Amino acid sequence: MTLEYVDAGEAIDHVALSAVGGAAPVTDNVDYERILNARSESKNWLTYYGDYDGQRYSLLDQINTENVSKLSPAWIFQAGQAGHIAGGSTYSFEACPLIVDGVMYVTGWDGWFWAIDAATGTELWRYKHAIPFDVSLCCSNVNRGCAVAHGKAYFVTANAQLLALDATNGKKVWQKTIGDVRAGESASLAPLVIKDTIITGSAGGEFGVRGHIDCWDLETGDHRWRTYTVPKPGEPGSETWPADGEAWQRGGANHWVTGTYDPELNLYYAGTGNPAPDFDGAVREGDNLYTDSVVALDVDSGEIKWHYQFTPHDLWDYDSTMEMTLFERDGKKLLGHFDKNGYFFVLDRTNGELQHVTPFVDRIDWGVITRDGKVTPRKYPDKEGEPVHFFPGPAGAKEWTHAAYSQKTELFYVPVADVGATATRRRREFKEGMPYWGAAVQVDIDDMNGSVSAFDTYGEEKWRYRIDYPMAASILATAGDLVFAGTPTGEFLALDSRTGEKLWEFQCGSGHHSSCSTYSIDGKQYVVVPVGWGGWLEGIVPGMSANGHGSALIAFALPG
Amino acid sequence: MTISEEVAITEERADLLSRLGLDVQNDATIGRVLSTGSIAEATERADGTMEATIRIKEDEYCWDPAILVLPHGGDLELTIINDDKNTHACLLPNNGGPKFLGLLNHSKGKANITLDGPGYYWYSSPAGNDEGRGLTAAIVVGGEVPPEARLDRPKQPRPSKSIVKEIVKE
Repeated sequence: MTLEYVDAGEAIDHVALSAVGGAAPVTDNVDYERILNARSESKNWLTYYGDYDGQRYSLLDQINTENVSKLSPAWIFQAGQAGHIAGGSTYSFEACPLIVDGVMYVTGWDGWFWAIDAATGTELWRYKHAIPFDVSLCCSNVNRGCAVAHGKAYFVTANAQLLALDATNGKKVWQKTIGDVRAGESASLAPLVIKDTIITGSAGGEFGVRGHIDCWDLETGDHRWRTYTVPKPGEPGSETWPADGEAWQRGGANHWVTGTYDPELNLYYAGTGNPAPDFDGAVREGDNLYTDSVVALDVDSGEIKWHYQFTPHDLWDYDSTMEMTLFERDGKKLLGHFDKNGYFFVLDRTNGELQHVTPFVDRIDWGVITRDGKVTPRKYPDKEGEPVHFFPGPAGAKEWTHAAYSQKTELFYVPVADVGATATRRRREFKEGMPYWGAAVQVDIDDMNGSVSAFDTYGEEKWRYRIDYPMAASILATAGDLVFAGTPTGEFLALDSRTGEKLWEFQCGSGHHSSCSTYSIDGKQYVVVPVGWGGWLEGIVPGMSANGHGSALIAFALPG
Repeated sequence: MTISEEVAITEERADLLSRLGLDVQNDATIGRVLSTGSIAEATERADGTMEATIRIKEDEYCWDPAILVLPHGGDLELTIINDDKNTHACLLPNNGGPKFLGLLNHSKGKANITLDGPGYYWYSSPAGNDEGRGLTAAIVVGGEVPPEARLDRPKQPRPSKSIVKEIVKE
């Protein structure tokens, strides 16, 4: 007997069952020259930090201390989530939206990318990369953003792919595999366009991978260079690893947050992550270069020109991946970095020479770093099975979320987290693709604080806006003398950049764990913030990990 | 405190599912527990495109196979059949965006999707409570990433199969 079926046809693109038109306006070409001068066109937010210098500072001043009290929502974009996804309990916006001539480009968790009309919030097109449910995530289902250049939009995915999309319709132009998911590698950073290339890094330090930074041809995706951030035996820095061991092969040092760039020096400043195993230092004696460091790479060759290590032989999971903010003082080219270990470092960015070190959080007891950079560890997991409590915990006194620097006030504005943790060393053998911490770890849930704190370039605190929880979202500074910051409990704040006085707040309905940005269209300034509580909450704010989820973009503007 | 646990699995998987009432709707469970159905492998054509058939059998509310295994990432051509006397749908993972196929009672269609490997993906029937009743299944993609994407380091140890599994096999 022959069965006659009703013809169901061929499966269609799911997006066809939506109001999404599938097209964005063709914008003016974003080339290297434009990105070099990104701040000068502050009506856009052209690159991850707003400019290569990492300052997260905008010249826009329409919204200012005089009128910010009238700020109100202009539109809301709701992303939502359905179905089974990897790390479903941790998904979150962690992105910084880019805005190019009225079009907003923003990435989400689980392979999402949206193009949105930045004036109205209307979705123009979407791209969804299929992400395996079982991909190793460290430490949550997140993505920090994209790059836009030459009519394409670029982003990485949790399963370690780099994609170039047509910026007008979201269709894939090319795709490259940039890491090994079987080894525990993933990717989460916003790639950075420099010249005719795009730079990526890897994630997976908690799985004992070997960190690397890669450079790709912007047009074709051809591989230009790869620089490993843990040296092989015989290479410079290899003397900081056990000579006869395998530790270097699993050494970590992942570059999972976008670096900054000095075009005059031709150097890319990349922060690197923790060594692996995180808490069991006995299997990796030595300083473990280039973990917890800034490495200054020649962007044409990938060669490491200099490095500075913030936490030698890390035993606390103190990644140094966070922004390396470039600024000038007394005619000197400097780099400022607020590290997980609780200290603010200022370096000469031409050669890596330390200028000074100062603490930026109240409670630091893991060890001491003197103003001239001498490191003395004091409390760390050492004996098997013996709990050790230390401040700051493994999420650090500042997690990946970014500080801002105002050229107007010459102050840094820092999202500070003050929470400790207990680590108990538990040695385990290395197996590829399995977590490789070397400890049991619990972050405190009932003793925590946070603040937005302002520091001058010498590290002297000028003001502090206190909250009851660790800060977990990036700061934005504007020429309107404002500092914008989102809290874990959902308030989006505008503070006076000179005094820290709260001038405005809006309850967004879910916690903040992303990077806001600002732009203007037809003379009207907007501030946009991705909202939604998620990410590596058991490390950052475990006492808030049961708070409600959320996944919205909210744009604010003045009335009229 | 140390907790010791001994698990002895002596029955074939299908027999165990049947005895526990896990291989049918509205017995032990109201619907079907995910991935308690059959397992099958896709075939591969000379050009590397993979093909397979997935179907919904009458009153089973379970994709057959519940786990479809692909040898590697790439293009997959699926034939999708609804043998049930109810209307369902199919929402499949795909690079670029999910693919949707409506499945009227006793209907048959196709889907072309592209997936990276390795890793596994869930798909479902996003209609009513089909997912909760059991119409959620997995596509497993095997293989390794391309050689140029692997780390420059000696081959590393991976987790080995447990002793219990080895005994059951013997």
